Amino acid sequence: MPSPQQGAYKPRMKKPKATRSVSFSLPALPFPLASFLHPLRSASSQWLVLPVLLMVSILFRWAVGLGPYSEGNIGMAAPPMHGDFEAQRHWMEVTTNLPVKEWYWHDLEWWGLDYPPLTAYHSWLLGIMCGFTLDYVTGVIRLTKMWFSGGMINPDWFALIESRGLDDVKLKTFMRATALASELLTYVPAVVIFVRVFGRQADLSKYDKGVALAAILMQPALMIIDHGHFQYNSVMLGFTLLAVDFFITDHIYWGSFFFVLSLSFKQMALYYAPVIFAYLLGLCVHTNINIPRLVLLGATVVISFGLVFAPLAVLGGKEQIAQCLFRVFPFARGLWEDKVANFWCAANVLVKFRERFDSGMLQKASLVATLAAILPPCLILFFNPQKRLLPLGLAACAWGFFMFSFQVHEKSVLLPLVPTTLVLAGSLDKNTVSWVSWMNNVAMFSMWPLLRRDGLQLQYTVLTLLYAWLMGTFEHLPEHWFGKLVHVGSYIAILATHFSEAFLFEGLLQKYPDLWVVANVEISFGCFTVAWIWVLWRLWKESRKGKKKPKRE
Amino acid sequence: MNKFHPSLRECAIAATAFKLLLFPAYKSTDFEVHRNWLAITHSLPVKEWYYEKTSEWTLDYPPFFAAFEWILSQVAQFFDPAMLDVKNLGYDSVQTVYFQRLSVMFTELLLVYALQKFINTSPESSKRSAHAVALSILLSPGFLIIDHIHFQYNGFLYGILILSMILARSPSTRLYSGFLFAALLCFKHIYLYLAPAYFVFLLRVYCLGDSVFQIRFANVVKLGVGIVGIFAAAFGPFVYWGQIPQLLSRLFPFSRGLCHAYWAPNIWAIYSFIDRVLIIVAPRLGLTINQEALTSVTRGLVGDTTFALLPEITPRTTFLLTLFFQILPLIKLWANPTYETFLGAIILCGYASFLFGWHVHEKAILLVIIPFSLLALKDRRYLGAFRPLAVAGHVSLFPLLFTAPEFLIKTVYTIAWLIVFLTAFDALVPPVAANIRRFLLDRFTILFIVVAIPLIAYTSLFHKVLFGERYEFLPLMFTSSYSAVGVVGSWVGFCWLYFTT
Repeated sequence: MPSPQQGAYKPRMKKPKATRSVSFSLPALPFPLASFLHPLRSASSQWLVLPVLLMVSILFRWAVGLGPYSEGNIGMAAPPMHGDFEAQRHWMEVTTNLPVKEWYWHDLEWWGLDYPPLTAYHSWLLGIMCGFTLDYVTGVIRLTKMWFSGGMINPDWFALIESRGLDDVKLKTFMRATALASELLTYVPAVVIFVRVFGRQADLSKYDKGVALAAILMQPALMIIDHGHFQYNSVMLGFTLLAVDFFITDHIYWGSFFFVLSLSFKQMALYYAPVIFAYLLGLCVHTNINIPRLVLLGATVVISFGLVFAPLAVLGGKEQIAQCLFRVFPFARGLWEDKVANFWCAANVLVKFRERFDSGMLQKASLVATLAAILPPCLILFFNPQKRLLPLGLAACAWGFFMFSFQVHEKSVLLPLVPTTLVLAGSLDKNTVSWVSWMNNVAMFSMWPLLRRDGLQLQYTVLTLLYAWLMGTFEHLPEHWFGKLVHVGSYIAILATHFSEAFLFEGLLQKYPDLWVVANVEISFGCFTVAWIWVLWRLWKESRKGKKKPKRE
Repeated sequence: MNKFHPSLRECAIAATAFKLLLFPAYKSTDFEVHRNWLAITHSLPVKEWYYEKTSEWTLDYPPFFAAFEWILSQVAQFFDPAMLDVKNLGYDSVQTVYFQRLSVMFTELLLVYALQKFINTSPESSKRSAHAVALSILLSPGFLIIDHIHFQYNGFLYGILILSMILARSPSTRLYSGFLFAALLCFKHIYLYLAPAYFVFLLRVYCLGDSVFQIRFANVVKLGVGIVGIFAAAFGPFVYWGQIPQLLSRLFPFSRGLCHAYWAPNIWAIYSFIDRVLIIVAPRLGLTINQEALTSVTRGLVGDTTFALLPEITPRTTFLLTLFFQILPLIKLWANPTYETFLGAIILCGYASFLFGWHVHEKAILLVIIPFSLLALKDRRYLGAFRPLAVAGHVSLFPLLFTAPEFLIKTVYTIAWLIVFLTAFDALVPPVAANIRRFLLDRFTILFIVVAIPLIAYTSLFHKVLFGERYEFLPLMFTSSYSAVGVVGSWVGFCWLYFTT
């Protein structure tokens, strides 16, 4: 069977052993994360790495989950709408109580379902499961009753209408458990496979692969959004990652299938779509044009979408698909909702876009800007469809979307951030570690206004500092002077913002209530711009390097 | 730079991060107990500390601990003065939780210091294992469950105990070891259980010369004056005010039952278990049952346990049994007063009081686990005795946390700890000659550890599915009987080692 990547992949036999990365040169200069895995580096204890890492990630995720969730616990008394937690719970309520044809229509004002069908099925499945599981938690008397009454009685938590805004420790525990289980079934295995395969292709030592896996699993941003704020981003990211796993093992059709799943779980995966399209197209035309492959790929995508939408159409009628798409792509909304560290929001300080231009104009402008931003990574991937460029390509494309597209949320920073962190599985040198951990730190900071509203200050502080410390942020800076300047400058700015927000300028705040949020947006935007450029530059360099010899540090 | 990775400091930082995330977790009544003590010591004159009884959780720790609470309360007033009001029962504002939980973590630094000291003072050849042992104690699920979720201050108390055990190693510092231990007794009197070993050891090696008849008077005076001074500092004021009977009645409440509400995994748990089994078997054997007993045992009440068929146990019996099993190792310590025998004697004193004592709390298992950890890597046979203890002792702590959100934390953390450290110990422990290894016992240990998995699954998941709220004592009984087998097994194994080597 011909490899889809002629020219990109050379036999590994000829490679000289890659130089060992900094983490292996213990005890001279380890970052703490590498130090923790040090006792497990011998062949006899290698088997421990995976179970221990899994258990530690479960523990930290669950411990974060002990805290409050999106505007639930803390602001319980005040907000009438609650947050994403209530949205997810509400969808379970809707999908388990109503026939399919009403899913995308039911009372749209109260967290109407606006995610693609796979999320709806996921909610339905969890809601049904809770019929059993949750009753167990509340006491089994109800479970037995349920069995005897012969039907699936929906527990009160998901009773239609009455359950709105419900806030209960056991409900919370159940929801947290579903988030954890969903992540363990999608994202975590995808990461494990990715590190194993990608690390091997990049010639990482076993020890370094363990360190990279730990660094990716302990990533704080995804942890605090999914298990603190509460969402199921890891499922969408997990499907995308599984797609990448299949791409890097040359199973492009399976990869396309899983990417379609990702798209139909959460439309946000569109941030990755152009670059994946460019990659697959590149595989079809690179070196020699391969029409059958192109047709097959197209067919795979169409059939996959068909499979996902089929239940909706069959059970609810064809018009459901139109309504679903209408709900999923809300073009009627504004340029942004909350303050977010992208171009539009950051430049708003200078130019009041929303006042000076009408919405249609802005849509066009953002479309053009986004296209311009994502063009470079797409072109690079199209002309060099190489496996090892995938994480950087995904990251560059997602950064482009994040910076310039329409309707960006602060949580969307996860999309560029996750593939950026995946780069660690390819090279664990000092520079990369330093840049990646910096981006994670800044991304956490950019979500601070959101997390503070959720009451997750403690979790934010602990996770950010822990990850920064684990990755040696406090000890290592990039080699280049510009990098040093940016890192030190941004850390000082971040600390100054937090410090002054906590202790100073109370009078000033009365005059400008959004002062800290704006400061946060400007700092994060500056950093994200650098991050985006770094990723692009790195992608460019990597694609050049591949021409001559396999990449290494 | 430290030679071994990860270093104690790194583990302490990571563990601290994890413990900070546990702030919103479940906290037991002990949290309110300690808040109440903060209030008592802060707002009342010392004279009234041991008389105050607005809350049912009266002050029942010795004076040093009360003073410790007083010091904490000086800081607490900057967090939230409302927690320092004696009448403010059940108060748990965010600031109160943060302050109390932080105070546990802050005082635990003493344990970290003691462990670092332990690594530094251990001989070069065993530094590596000492490092592993120190990490295992620092990250112990026991401290995580009891101190950081359930809420108590064991961390720094065990820090003092370990420091004092380290100081006993070198002849020049033995005096301070005795002082530290005396101070520890004035913090928490549960350590009285270990006192006989200290007494015999210090008497034999510090107060007496090579021969029993050669009394070193200078040492006797130094030790005596010091210890009397420490006790005087703690209890003197109360002696002066004539409050000692009241104080003692608080420290030693004899009105409690043989078994704690939940049975600690000791001999009496097995005894009660047999009794329960006999209730079912008795009608077939034609024995008469004490009807009173059918309503007793783990109904959640701290009261008298009545047995259906087996003879009643009196506090006197438990006391005599404890004393007997403490004296046996002490005889050997007297005859052969080496440091390792001393450690062994401490461990066996802990075992004896835990296994045979009256109204033992499951938390007291730390009295055995922590000292035993220091000796577990002596050679493979010691590790063999340690393994079932580590499994049983920690599993027996599970019923302390019964709320749904904490289930995952306690089980996953404990399993992770057991896997990591039992494997690490296995790799580090020096081997012994093959013929001494007890093949059967090793197999038994493995079987025992494997049984833990269905047991945890049953007690936490399947029992409720099968029986709902009925028979709620069953999972508790299984847990404690299972753990009791492990603890007793490791005790027998360790006794055998202690008396034969």
